[in-house]
Amino acid sequence: MRRFAFVLALMLLLLAAFGCGGNEPGSSSGPSANTDTGTPASPAPGGNGNGSGNQENITLRFAWWGGQSRHDYTLKMIEMYEKQHPHVKIEPEYAGFDDYWKKLVPQAAANDLPDVIQMSVAYVTEFAERGQLVDLAEYMEQGLLDKSSIPDSYLEIGRHDGKQYQITLGVNALAVIADPQMIEDAGGTVPTEQWTWDDLEELGAKLKAKGKMLTATIDHRNFLNYYLRSKGQSLFSPDGGLGYTDDGLFAEYFTRYKRMYDNGYFLSLDKFAQKKGIPEDDEMVLGNAAFSFSWSNLFVADSALAKRPLDILPPPGPDADQGLYLQSSQGLSVTQNSKHKEEAVKFVNFFINDIEANKIMLGERGVPISSKVQEAIKPLLSPESSKVVDYIARVGEMVTSGNVIDPVGGVEVIKLLNDLAEQIAYNAITPEEAAAKFRKEATAILAKNKS
Amino acid sequence: MKRLLEHDNVVGYVYLSPFILGFLIFTLYPILSSFYYSFTGYNLMESPNWIGLENYRTMFLDDEKLIKSLKVTFTYVFASVPLRLGFALFVALLLYRTVSGAGFYRAAYYLPSLIGGSVAVSIMWIQVFGDQGLVNAMLGLIGIHTSMSWIGNPSTSLGTLIALSVWQFGSSMLIFLAGLKNIPQTYYEAASVDGANRFQRFFKVTIPLLSPIMLFNLIMQTISAFMTFTPAYVITRGEGGPLDTTLLYSLYLFRRAFTFFQMGYASAMAWVMLLIIGLITFILFKTSVYWVHYESKGEK
Repeated sequence: MRRFAFVLALMLLLLAAFGCGGNEPGSSSGPSANTDTGTPASPAPGGNGNGSGNQENITLRFAWWGGQSRHDYTLKMIEMYEKQHPHVKIEPEYAGFDDYWKKLVPQAAANDLPDVIQMSVAYVTEFAERGQLVDLAEYMEQGLLDKSSIPDSYLEIGRHDGKQYQITLGVNALAVIADPQMIEDAGGTVPTEQWTWDDLEELGAKLKAKGKMLTATIDHRNFLNYYLRSKGQSLFSPDGGLGYTDDGLFAEYFTRYKRMYDNGYFLSLDKFAQKKGIPEDDEMVLGNAAFSFSWSNLFVADSALAKRPLDILPPPGPDADQGLYLQSSQGLSVTQNSKHKEEAVKFVNFFINDIEANKIMLGERGVPISSKVQEAIKPLLSPESSKVVDYIARVGEMVTSGNVIDPVGGVEVIKLLNDLAEQIAYNAITPEEAAAKFRKEATAILAKNKS
Repeated sequence: MKRLLEHDNVVGYVYLSPFILGFLIFTLYPILSSFYYSFTGYNLMESPNWIGLENYRTMFLDDEKLIKSLKVTFTYVFASVPLRLGFALFVALLLYRTVSGAGFYRAAYYLPSLIGGSVAVSIMWIQVFGDQGLVNAMLGLIGIHTSMSWIGNPSTSLGTLIALSVWQFGSSMLIFLAGLKNIPQTYYEAASVDGANRFQRFFKVTIPLLSPIMLFNLIMQTISAFMTFTPAYVITRGEGGPLDTTLLYSLYLFRRAFTFFQMGYASAMAWVMLLIIGLITFILFKTSVYWVHYESKGEK
């Protein structure tokens, strides 16, 4: 009797070990977009995704961020690729910007990043310097990634430390999206390219009188940097430290910001805390503000949601041409832990160079970098998309220098910046004190991360 | 060998082995690893590098946010736990006496504690306390017009989290109810024969006999309050704002680990929290001899 019980127990133990035991090799990858330590990305039995001859079925995972409209058309592009390449199945994973990065880091820890990921200049150093990304240059040499119609200056945008860690999906630039009708109704004149910060404040007063705001908020990471650049300096320096020496500029920017906040030109912070950070939620889109301080490639989505004619302007000056820079709106990277790097690169190539695919995307992620693609989609562009292309062309003429990408530790510095901005708005600290505090703490953070 | 296999204990261990394996692999090993990581700098993508007590030193000497998060967490615990237990006891006493509809009320009060800690409820909470939410609508009904966002306002944001915790008093309430029902009626009868009025009966009979349960609830609720994460994370979108007034310790730990890629530091934070909870639990136990009455041990 006891022996029987013992044998039974042993059998149960074995069953339990197989049933509860972690990842089984060969099992199909489970539902994507989960945050626990992942199942292996692709189950291809022995296949290494070669393009030639008898093709094994492989699965690629592709992750990106965006709003609903971007998700919808990206899924269409994926379908198109799958039809052209029946042996490839692409599993999409998508989220809003903040959530996207929160998901990606644990995946990186588990060596379970998707094969192709959308990448941002804010994070490319963090991932690249930790060995997570593939250098695409060799695939470009082999011709798998066709760079023949891409000017080198656009490729440069995706390089860090000489290596091609991401390839830019589109070029964009800082822009202010404006509602001309609202401005005129408030008795103001629609700004031109030469407008200044003072002009902005004047408009703020007029809009307030009509119960409208200037804008929901101004993103400090982008616009403080812009402001410093317009004065000949920069937020970060190429060697990984702070890029400006004059704390007075920091104080100036925030004194003006505080003045505008106190006057009620912006959304109050307690209400802003509830925003979700997507275009659908933006105050200008909702009709409560006249401007949105944003990126050029968001013009199309904002226009579609706002359902009224909008204008696109460079940020206020003076010296907007010094402040502006062209940048990668977002790029695509292939991850080191991908088991099908060549297939992943082919998919990236599809995004960058395929004309039919780009006829679906139509520059929503930024003006495409391939000149062939630009030519091909031009006649198809909606008036809004054309406005963006023209704006980028104009900015291309204006810019005098490229922008330094955020160094490792940049994320922590930006958090510090936003914290200080919040304290300034709530009167807990003066702009001058904040300037000194920022310098002290940011320098410490960046120094720690350099070692 | 045969005799070994037929030994009772061995069979027992074999039955236990799935759990023991699970414990060793999924609980003990990560705990020990985290202890190791707390002495390293580890950004998840490269291998850890040993830095000794550096993390701990930074935590106590160089990190304002950590001190702030400790203050916020302690405020949260010391406000929410007594309120929660207070409500639980109060409602339990009410439901103990009422006859009609008691079952319905029990279920109704218990329900929030079942679903309370979830993401869905936290999202709903934003709607309730937001600037266009339920609370403002109801205040409007009684004539107080405000468009303030309770969540976005630094003076009230922690209050909304405390309210969320207190709203989930149902589970403690049920435990109190069970405890109340365990008190033999004979004690109450004896007390009233001796001339005790309602208050005296409450303080001399109910409270002492309920005190072991109160201790149990107190310790469990305190530990879980220190570890609160989901509501704070969802309601503030991970920011711990405004002005860090809802930056609970666990939220700050998460940020250090997953936004700044500083696993070593986060591990050190986790161990410090373990020590804090351990210390407080120890204090609660030690002081419990002064107010907890165990029937089995007889009068002091």
